[in-house]
Amino acid sequence: MSTVKDRVPASVAVRPAGYSVLRAGHARFLVHRRAVAVASVLLVLLAASCVAYLCVGEAFVSPAEVVKVLLGRSSPDELVVEELRLPRLVVGLLVGLAFGVAGALIQTVARNPLASPDVIGISQGASALTVASMTLGITSYSVLPYLSVAGGLLAAALVYLFAWRGGLHATRFVLIGIGFAIALRSITTLFMTKGDYLVAQQAQIWMTGSLNGRGWPEAEVLAPILLVLVPALAWAARAQRTVSLDDDTATALGVRLGRVRLGLVALGVVLAAVATGAAGPVDFVALLAPQIARRMTRTAQIPLLSSALTGAVIVVLADLLARRLFSPTELPVGVLTAAVGAPYLIWLIIRSRSVGGTS
Amino acid sequence: MSRLSTQALTLAYEDRTVVEELDLAVPDGEVTVIVGPNACGKSTTLRALGRLLKPKSGSVLLDGAELAKLPTKRIAQQIGLLPQTPVAPEAITVADLVSRGRQPHQHWWQQWSDEDERAVSEAMARTDVADLAERSVDELSGGQRQRVWIAMALAQETELLLLDEPTTYLDISHQVEVLDLVRQLNHDKGRTVVVVLHDLNQAARYADHLVAMKAGRVVAAGPPSEVVTASLVREVFGLDCVIVPDPVTGSPLVVPGAPWKAA
Amino acid sequence: MPTAAPASTAHRTFAVRRLALTGAALVALLLAVLLSLAVGARPIAPSAVIDALFNGGHSDAAEVVRELRVPRTMIGLMVGAALALAGTALQGITRNPIADPGILGISQGASVAVVIAIAYAGIHTLTGYVWFAFAGAGIASVAVYAIASSGRGGATPVKLALGGAAINALLVSVTMAVLTTKASALDEFRFWQVGSIAGRGSDVVGQVWPFLLVGVVLVFSVARGLDALALGEDVAKGLGQRVATVRIVGGVGATVLTGVGVAAAGPIAFIGLAVPHIARAVVGSDHRWVLPMAALIGPVMLLVSDVIGRVVFPPSEVPAGVMTALIGVPFLVALVRRKTVAA
Repeated sequence: MSTVKDRVPASVAVRPAGYSVLRAGHARFLVHRRAVAVASVLLVLLAASCVAYLCVGEAFVSPAEVVKVLLGRSSPDELVVEELRLPRLVVGLLVGLAFGVAGALIQTVARNPLASPDVIGISQGASALTVASMTLGITSYSVLPYLSVAGGLLAAALVYLFAWRGGLHATRFVLIGIGFAIALRSITTLFMTKGDYLVAQQAQIWMTGSLNGRGWPEAEVLAPILLVLVPALAWAARAQRTVSLDDDTATALGVRLGRVRLGLVALGVVLAAVATGAAGPVDFVALLAPQIARRMTRTAQIPLLSSALTGAVIVVLADLLARRLFSPTELPVGVLTAAVGAPYLIWLIIRSRSVGGTS
Repeated sequence: MSRLSTQALTLAYEDRTVVEELDLAVPDGEVTVIVGPNACGKSTTLRALGRLLKPKSGSVLLDGAELAKLPTKRIAQQIGLLPQTPVAPEAITVADLVSRGRQPHQHWWQQWSDEDERAVSEAMARTDVADLAERSVDELSGGQRQRVWIAMALAQETELLLLDEPTTYLDISHQVEVLDLVRQLNHDKGRTVVVVLHDLNQAARYADHLVAMKAGRVVAAGPPSEVVTASLVREVFGLDCVIVPDPVTGSPLVVPGAPWKAA
Repeated sequence: MPTAAPASTAHRTFAVRRLALTGAALVALLLAVLLSLAVGARPIAPSAVIDALFNGGHSDAAEVVRELRVPRTMIGLMVGAALALAGTALQGITRNPIADPGILGISQGASVAVVIAIAYAGIHTLTGYVWFAFAGAGIASVAVYAIASSGRGGATPVKLALGGAAINALLVSVTMAVLTTKASALDEFRFWQVGSIAGRGSDVVGQVWPFLLVGVVLVFSVARGLDALALGEDVAKGLGQRVATVRIVGGVGATVLTGVGVAAAGPIAFIGLAVPHIARAVVGSDHRWVLPMAALIGPVMLLVSDVIGRVVFPPSEVPAGVMTALIGVPFLVALVRRKTVAA
């Protein structure tokens, strides 16, 4: 071995750059430091947005009063804050979190930054079934959310079924998803042009995504589902570390790619479908939030927590604007999510220092 | 003895059969090198040994059990594999990538142990990439990148290590270093290594056990001194040559016939 | 060179096969045109169609063919070819298999302009929309390129795709904001938005054909550049291609063609995405073959869809924009499942 340099294994601690190890008893977790910092900042931003959301409205309530109400003290503004603004805020918050995570998961599996629930057919499935039901005379708001969840899940199941061929090829999955999305959108359009004008208008608003009139009933469905899925997200965050490698390397590392991908997609689909059921397909949150989050944390995979928080910030701010911008006319929140998220993503792309930056 | 072997292994991509009825035993604790001309099925065989490719018929056996029936994570604790053209996620750092080799030894509640840290440090030191730890993989040279990937496979710390053309992209000194590293691992840790190489001389120099393949079949297998003969080279590569003893190691050295010259 | 003979024979058979396939596509296109002229609320025998076209005549049938169906078929031909070529060029430039004029925001740019024309400029005719659609498509793609090419590394595929998606998102919200605040515009816009080739007169054909010509020339001129780009930017440079020029010329071509498509027929979603994939599956990855093939398959799909749309729910018609997707998706799914998809 004359040519081999005698290499003493380095004694310096080499751990994944940028990560810290979090110890809890015997358990140890890898934490990306910058991602934690970003998440903390987002959390503060989200809290501030929420307070602002509760303050601003037809009648302005001072932040001090808002905090009072939130802490359960009595206040003259209790009714406005607690009965009118808070329920809607909670739904917006949960919907934003759900779309943010859903987008992150689907972009990870698709390995394509353009993929998201509103690109691969989930939102269109929800829309198609809902709008079809509306034109057929089912307009009760107690039934429609469930129909839209069913539509979203059904569309996703179909896409998965057709895309599966001895494995899930990322490009095949996305292409078939888009195919279904376009076909379903066409069906929706067909129903809209066949239906009468009022139904078309109602459907248009639903399809844009709106938080108008949403409150505790929706939150009571959303919150437990999100809560149940949190442990699954811990699994997903770890699975992302290997799924983001190429197929061969991931398999060599002992990852059951087929199952892991199915798990990640299923999780993303359920989140997107449930959120769509609550507020309609709020466009672009799932597309924009993960890309914004990843550019902020500079991690090699899409950060789930930051995506969720970014999604929530976007929806809360967008709905705040939607309520006030053309007051007294209210815009559907979906109109403004892109207006809030897209300029920031554009700025991040323009400013980006790394070359490119993929999914 | 042989922990990893194949029985009547037939491999195919779609309808195109690439390897047929292959019986191969990888000797434990030795460096096995598979050589052969382009498209002879050597990489395909390696992929099957590492369960990246499902057999069309026949089987790959690990400790007597069929590979296809073992949990993939348990295989990953025994067999490490470096594919020919791995793709890194964009903007990933060197240390982050290498540390992903520890995945098979981790659980979600145990994401980073002292053992992981030792294995990653050692792998990076052995492949001489410790200085690059914080760099982004995108901005490395081809040779550096290849060493990072090898570090990742080493960090997996498996008894069996499969490397698919690990010297591609490397200059001659790094080629020698990587192959020396392979022998060193084999010597120090008793690792069993299977390497696919296209350079016959390197194969003869570094292999304990040489497998020569042609058109999806094994033509010859054994110690390089017995396998590498002028007639075998003609049969497998279709090349006329002279075999002389390597002046440094004494292993067979293939010297091709005289170069073309204007008459 | 003894080895050269078999190689060139193989090459020749491959070329013959591709020529034959292109010929078959051409025949399919002729059939589609004939169908489009003959089928409708008032079926006209093919012989009568040919008679009306070449021998004049003033029967009702001849008038229908000349006044209604010929312009409609012309629009179908132009729009189908334009969108298919635009999609092929955009997928090549961004090296993203799901890029198309819709997802990159170019169609949306045209839509925004049309919405503004309806809501604020008081324009209500198709011929009036055309210029707005062109301007909108142009502005949107300039914006996308400006975003992608700023910052380090220039206009990489990922930055182009993401920049496009962001612009698209932004423009959708502008459209929505206008529509939700100006209810009267919605009623007019929702029919334009569906995408249809019905009711367009020969004046629209006259307005857009020069643009179609320019777009076709631009996109075809970068065919070899797109082939090189498919191998990666470095290889493309090594092959002597000016990568930025290819992207810009191809991008301008795609924009002009999208403008043609959207201006004449509204945003028809499916063709720009799917036809390039179908064309590649048929003739391989060489853009000098893929582009003509796409230009043939695009109109076939659009015309056949339009014809079916005329007859499925008589007496009303299903717009081509809807029908194309419904008919095309099974195709796409079957194709994507059969082939290993080239990105």
